[in-house]
Amino acid sequence: MNDVAISAAPRDRKVKTTRAPNEIDFWRGIALVSIFMNHIPGLWYEQFTHKNFGYTDSAELFVLLAGWSLRILVDSQPRSLTPLRLSLRLGGRAVSIYAAQLVITTIAIALTATAALMLNNALILQWNNAAAVFDEPVTAHIGIVILSHQLGYFDILPLYVVLMMMGPIIGLIYRYVPAALLPLSLAIWAATLTFGVNIPTWPVEGRWFFDPLAWQLIFVTGFVLGGTGAAQSAITRWRLPIRVLGGIVVILGYVGTVLAWYPEPLEVPEPFLFFVANKTFLTPLRYFHALGLVAFFGGSFVLLIKYLRPICRFFSMLGRNSLYVFCVGSLLSLSGQIVRFAIAPSLLIDTIVVIVGISAMSATAWVSEWRTRLRD
Amino acid sequence: MAYTSQGLKAGLLVVAALGLGTAWAQLAPAQPPADAVQAAPAKETNGADPAPADPPSANGVVQLPLSAQCSVPSKEIAAPAPLPAMIAKLESGKSLRILAIGSSSTWGVGATSRQKNYPSQLETMLEKSMKDVNVEIVNRGVSGETTETTSDRLRTEAVLIKPDLVLWQLGTNDAVQHVDVETFEHTVRKTIKALRRKHIDVVLVGLQYTPNYSRDEHYFAIRDALNRIATDLNVLYVRRYAAMEFIARTKANMKMLSDDNFHLNDLGYQCMAEHIAQAVTANLFVRRKKPAS
Repeated sequence: MNDVAISAAPRDRKVKTTRAPNEIDFWRGIALVSIFMNHIPGLWYEQFTHKNFGYTDSAELFVLLAGWSLRILVDSQPRSLTPLRLSLRLGGRAVSIYAAQLVITTIAIALTATAALMLNNALILQWNNAAAVFDEPVTAHIGIVILSHQLGYFDILPLYVVLMMMGPIIGLIYRYVPAALLPLSLAIWAATLTFGVNIPTWPVEGRWFFDPLAWQLIFVTGFVLGGTGAAQSAITRWRLPIRVLGGIVVILGYVGTVLAWYPEPLEVPEPFLFFVANKTFLTPLRYFHALGLVAFFGGSFVLLIKYLRPICRFFSMLGRNSLYVFCVGSLLSLSGQIVRFAIAPSLLIDTIVVIVGISAMSATAWVSEWRTRLRD
Repeated sequence: MAYTSQGLKAGLLVVAALGLGTAWAQLAPAQPPADAVQAAPAKETNGADPAPADPPSANGVVQLPLSAQCSVPSKEIAAPAPLPAMIAKLESGKSLRILAIGSSSTWGVGATSRQKNYPSQLETMLEKSMKDVNVEIVNRGVSGETTETTSDRLRTEAVLIKPDLVLWQLGTNDAVQHVDVETFEHTVRKTIKALRRKHIDVVLVGLQYTPNYSRDEHYFAIRDALNRIATDLNVLYVRRYAAMEFIARTKANMKMLSDDNFHLNDLGYQCMAEHIAQAVTANLFVRRKKPAS
């Protein structure tokens, strides 16, 4: 969410064109690289991403940081800004993300089709829920435009579009009744989980992979934790106990995942979504694990930048340009799937896929910043 | 006023008569030609004849014969297996909710429209064979999906949708994508057991028949695994591969596949739906007899 953060940064471009490495950009960069790897099923390196050590993956981290950035953006706006202008400023982001979703979906379809032609295998046309595009193009094209048809792994930006459209509402509630924001978000989330509410997909009958009504909770949580205020001073005051609590959650999450302890949806009591580890509905198990991670690792950047400066600079660069890097990363993941299918997977192939992928992602970030510098 | 109400009554009578006529016409099998002879004995052996005084017919299930194009001996389609939840539901209520989950064959790649995929066609067939029962089939097919991912979705959707029966079409993608057979078998067994503990019946719908994979070892390994699971857990397993292969052998010039030579066409989906309907309804009779005796 580069633009959000850039507009939040000091606007004096003659002095500095890019932000210094910081914690949000750093973790966002980490999330981008692990999303790239997690979207190539079976990749050898995938076992090292943090989804293997707890109940959450990079998606929670990514959405929480997006909420955090939105808060920084809101806080940087002058109080005198009228509600309408504030809404326009916050909502504009949704349009860019929507456009990005259409572009990467189109390229993904073309990549899938190219692979099917080159490998002479029509079955590839079904990958990642793409069959409808080729088999029922009339409805599928409408579905792509109204976001009701999402390819597998190309389903997180639609969530972002909805969250960014909610941005103005969040901004206005925060301005006039800040104390109501988190309780309201929790209430919507709890109702969503109780009744299993989700947006339907079409023409493939199903539901959105990321339910925006559930996922808004972690976005709003990021918004509440970001910036300054009562929540931050409480966190500063109770820093040690919070970190210890976070550490306990992280250890329990690790033990649970290693022992493959996942509550069975068919066996837990109703309303069952409160007791299982479900990604679509961001269930409590995932939400609290994400909070635990933030409580434990939050603030560790001070140490990281001291001892691992080049790594911090690298991931921060990716994070600063996250929308572009995310888009390129998604297409690289799909290319990785195709390469691994075309050539028998081996550690060597996986290594090449990862090296090429991360290099292309960093080249994207570098070119994007080069453009920014040229504009000065 | 009197005239109006009389007119209304007469109108209603006509509508009712028309409705009955249509229902009768739908129930009557479309002229069974020579090919369908095999289907008729199958009907008898299953005790399908709904005699008016016979208590098993109380749930109103009629077994429709297979159409000429889709005719396959019933033993090729599936071995008998119990469907206790479905029978209980038919005794207590007038509606039946079925979850059809799987991959492209459930979504219906190759069909000319959504109304021609197998779940849509099956819904119409089951409503014909179960008079007065409102059958609802929810389609949750996602193309290209392997069994492990479907299992995750299935266990959540089963709680959200609360079906009486799950039609789980599986195996083809696992075979093509060379998913480890042991992992596949473990996932399927675990999921069936969990569904049964929740009193949901399961019907496994097997692999697609395609000449392209008729010599593929992994394809057969996955098929064998499904056979083992069906026997061990006494679960109804519709042997789609065997049924379709039978048709391909006996009616060589009939086109059941779409242009990609892998997915079914409308007729192929019709046969798939007919075979599932036959397997399901046959077992509703089999079980119905037992408590009565």
